[in-house]
Amino acid sequence: MPTELDLESIVSELYSPVYRFAFSLSRNETHAADLTQETFLILTKQQAQVRDITKIKSWLFTTLRREFLRGLRSQSTHPEVELKPEHQDELVADSGVLKASDAATVMEALAGVDESYRMVLELFYLADLSYKEIAATLDIPIGTVMSRLSRGKEQLRTLLAKTDSPNKIIPRPN
Amino acid sequence: MNSDAAKEILSAYRSADRDGADPIFHEALNQMASDSELKKWFEEQQDLDRTIREKLASIEPPADLQAKILARIRGEKVRRFALPQVWLAAAACLVVGGIALFYSNRHGGPDRFQEFKSDAMAMVSVQGGPALDLKTPDLSETQTYLRDHQAPRDDAIPTRLQSMETAGCRAFVWKDYPASLTCFRLPDGQMLHLVVIDRKAMGNADIPVGVKSVGDWHVMFQQKGEMLMMWATQAPMEQLKQMVVKAGWEGARGGRGVAGQGETSPRRLL
Repeated sequence: MPTELDLESIVSELYSPVYRFAFSLSRNETHAADLTQETFLILTKQQAQVRDITKIKSWLFTTLRREFLRGLRSQSTHPEVELKPEHQDELVADSGVLKASDAATVMEALAGVDESYRMVLELFYLADLSYKEIAATLDIPIGTVMSRLSRGKEQLRTLLAKTDSPNKIIPRPN
Repeated sequence: MNSDAAKEILSAYRSADRDGADPIFHEALNQMASDSELKKWFEEQQDLDRTIREKLASIEPPADLQAKILARIRGEKVRRFALPQVWLAAAACLVVGGIALFYSNRHGGPDRFQEFKSDAMAMVSVQGGPALDLKTPDLSETQTYLRDHQAPRDDAIPTRLQSMETAGCRAFVWKDYPASLTCFRLPDGQMLHLVVIDRKAMGNADIPVGVKSVGDWHVMFQQKGEMLMMWATQAPMEQLKQMVVKAGWEGARGGRGVAGQGETSPRRLL
């Protein structure tokens, strides 16, 4: 393993999926960009700790999720910084990031999936992680990843079928 | 393996090129040959996965995000590179402190210039960008601010930079000499920093000419009348030359365009 990672190549390859995952967590364009920057900065500082270069992708998403949760805890410690779910919805609606209404439809449907399944689905679809990488990222057994993926996809399919979007992805059953 | 167990496993299957070699999927994939309902379900599942990924891929990161990440990474590298140098310099200062004290005088020497360069680099390469007294995209506002605070400044900014936005400016004092920092935003998102100080602050030190590399940074010193200018950026060296050297610097030689000389209203130490 090289002593110094080729960080610029890693950024070039992964900053888009990392940003999308950050956006799915924060539902806010600015916050997602900040989280993405912070995640890569942490990689720069802690690159010596990344022993297996093939696991950088999992490492990045694990770190990003941890930073996001740390931020949430910080917000709860300082209640004047409120970001309630309804405000998050407004942010998404106002954001220019969801230019394609289809993407907005999928994001809304994802947000409606049970929390225990949603994270697995987001890592599967947004980060394109394998079931093994998802298990490593969330520190859960592989079997749990598979069952959550299966159930989560069923929920997502149902939610997408219910949507009233003109760009409906799944037709409502007759 | 029954159909439900196969579906659960196949829910984690992405595509043949990524997961086709994983043996955990083989039995479930093979079962499709004898289970038409499973095969139909799998094909629909794959279509849905593909569609969802395509839709989500239309979420575009901000156009400048990659550049910002790279800039922060380079800044961190410079910081890590500079830190041992600072300790080395501190150790060296301790060792030769007595000798330096003996020979030092108010005019300084080569060490004085190196110290200024080191301090200025530490100031501009700080993580997240240097601290600024005034944050504004308007160059004229930075110039007015520096004039109002009796800080030396370049009133004949190179032509190409005149049309660029600034991040802001700062007036400070280095070794009892007033100085200023102005930060320009280059088109690619990189920053270009201009530090101006009275040439006398360097004593009789020789000022090196040309662009030098300091870690990931490119630095150039130029004299303009009684003023010393330090340009520093992480942008490519050629870009720095085009912005500063080839854009009318020569026309400003000979002391024209520099303001704030002789004014002494120190505001704060660097």
